[in-house]
Amino acid sequence: MSSPAAIATPTVAHEGSGWDKLPYVLVVAGFIGLVVGAFSDLKQFGYSYLVSFMFFLSICLGSMFLVILHHLFDSNWSVPIRRFLEHIAFLLPVMGLLFIPIAWLAPQLYPWMTIDPHTDHSLHVKVALFNPPTFYIMAAVLFGSWTLLSYKLRSWSLKQDETGSVECTFALRKWAAGGVFIFAFSLTLAAIYWMKSLQHQFFSTMYGVYYFAGSVWTTLATAYIIAMVMQRRGYIPILHRRQFHDMGVLLFAFTVFYAYIHFSQYFLIWNAAMPEETFWYVLREQGTWWAVGMITVFGHFFGPFLLLLRIDAKLNLKLMIPMAIWVWLMHYLDMQYNIMPVFHTTGIHLALTDLASMAFIGGVLALVFLKYFHAHAPYPQKDPRFEEALGPSTASDHQGAEH
Amino acid sequence: MSKPYGVIAEFDTPADVMAAARAVNAAGFKSWDVHTPFPVHGMDEAMGIKNSPVGWFTFIGGVCGYTGGMLMIWFQNAVDYRIIVGGKPLFSPLFAFPVSYEMTILFASFATIFGMLFLNGLPRLHHPLLRNRRFAQVTHDKFYVVIETADSKYSETETRKLLETAGSKHIEQVEE
Repeated sequence: MSSPAAIATPTVAHEGSGWDKLPYVLVVAGFIGLVVGAFSDLKQFGYSYLVSFMFFLSICLGSMFLVILHHLFDSNWSVPIRRFLEHIAFLLPVMGLLFIPIAWLAPQLYPWMTIDPHTDHSLHVKVALFNPPTFYIMAAVLFGSWTLLSYKLRSWSLKQDETGSVECTFALRKWAAGGVFIFAFSLTLAAIYWMKSLQHQFFSTMYGVYYFAGSVWTTLATAYIIAMVMQRRGYIPILHRRQFHDMGVLLFAFTVFYAYIHFSQYFLIWNAAMPEETFWYVLREQGTWWAVGMITVFGHFFGPFLLLLRIDAKLNLKLMIPMAIWVWLMHYLDMQYNIMPVFHTTGIHLALTDLASMAFIGGVLALVFLKYFHAHAPYPQKDPRFEEALGPSTASDHQGAEH
Repeated sequence: MSKPYGVIAEFDTPADVMAAARAVNAAGFKSWDVHTPFPVHGMDEAMGIKNSPVGWFTFIGGVCGYTGGMLMIWFQNAVDYRIIVGGKPLFSPLFAFPVSYEMTILFASFATIFGMLFLNGLPRLHHPLLRNRRFAQVTHDKFYVVIETADSKYSETETRKLLETAGSKHIEQVEE
């Protein structure tokens, strides 16, 4: 096996494929769609944009989580996929800029912003959290901490490429260990402020974990596809069966975890049958929202669960590529299910701005991601676990495996 | 007094036994096995072993547990002893789910362990290899390939030759 230094950055020149122009098309078409949509129905624009924003926030936060996990568990399998996950995590400051329309439209999107807390008991008791200044300060704190964390996780990793010093590994571990707490609190707050507070009367202690479970699920499907493209195009030749197998296994695990969390939330509310909780699901049983709920049960959980159950399914691209697309669709529906019933109370209603906002945010993020990706080595060059990541054929792996 | 069970070949390193396993697999043997002091990654592939069918026992056990749990609760609460609790319907898959889920896991685990025992032909009281003194080293630092006489490809001279070429320094016959 050659040393890490020998496998230096491959100078791949696969540019010019039609796919590379796609992000530009998405940004332009999405932007036009959004402007047209905003002028015809500002509220619809706001909610559509919020759905897409929360969808892509999932992937950025999920990627940061996988990077943190890599360092916390000192894992070796995820070395090849770490760099592009770091890039996706560092899209969080871009998400901060993309938050501007939501910050601007917040008084129209979140009913509690314009209600006098003295006339609404459920708001009055939560007024410490739900008041406009706190909303904006919290947004700044959340994006600030995500930017800091994702920046540190990436910059130390890039430094490791140059020096290979053990100092980088230790620094990354420290940021990951502290960062996982910041991550848990900040993700929960984001889910509460930007989605749950649409119905500020609602209570659910599972809500943050619920968003987390769906987020990591979607991130794993995304990472699987990105890894596949990177491998085929020759950017990351060190990707092997093992990485795809492990991502597939984690995707399966999070399929179950999401179902576990969402079922627990529903089950407790159903069992306790208290109006201040049940109203949230009652609204989501109106019209076609009921069907969306059923699609969540069978499409978000049951189908993927059965299809991913077999060990060889996780390596079968004929299954995994449609599965990843399906995961995106399911997570998008899940975000719709959480946000849109406040606006479209009688059933799901897809608008032009839904598509346009997905295209616009997705396009912007893809452009920045590609810029990051081409500016740096495509995978960590001097990770101490680099050789172990390449496969199970090293002697140390045999000895370490079962003890 | 006793007929031969098979031939046993000793190796010193995981790499050696891995290479031998590949050779034996390539020669087309079916009734043979590799014994090592610890799991050797990639051995399944070297030996040409496919995914174990034990997963089917797990799956069927799980499905039985789930449907059994649901049917049990439905029968108890909605048929045999109808009682309304907390204004809820007599039966709903929602409240029956946690228990059915536990039953799924319980039955799946039982099916897995008994399926594994069944597929391995366990329990059994004795195995010819256990009488071989040399073989005791398998729990320490030696690696073994065992080819059974029951294999249609088995030949006393050819098989021994194959294992010698594979690099074994010690080959002996094991009695039944």
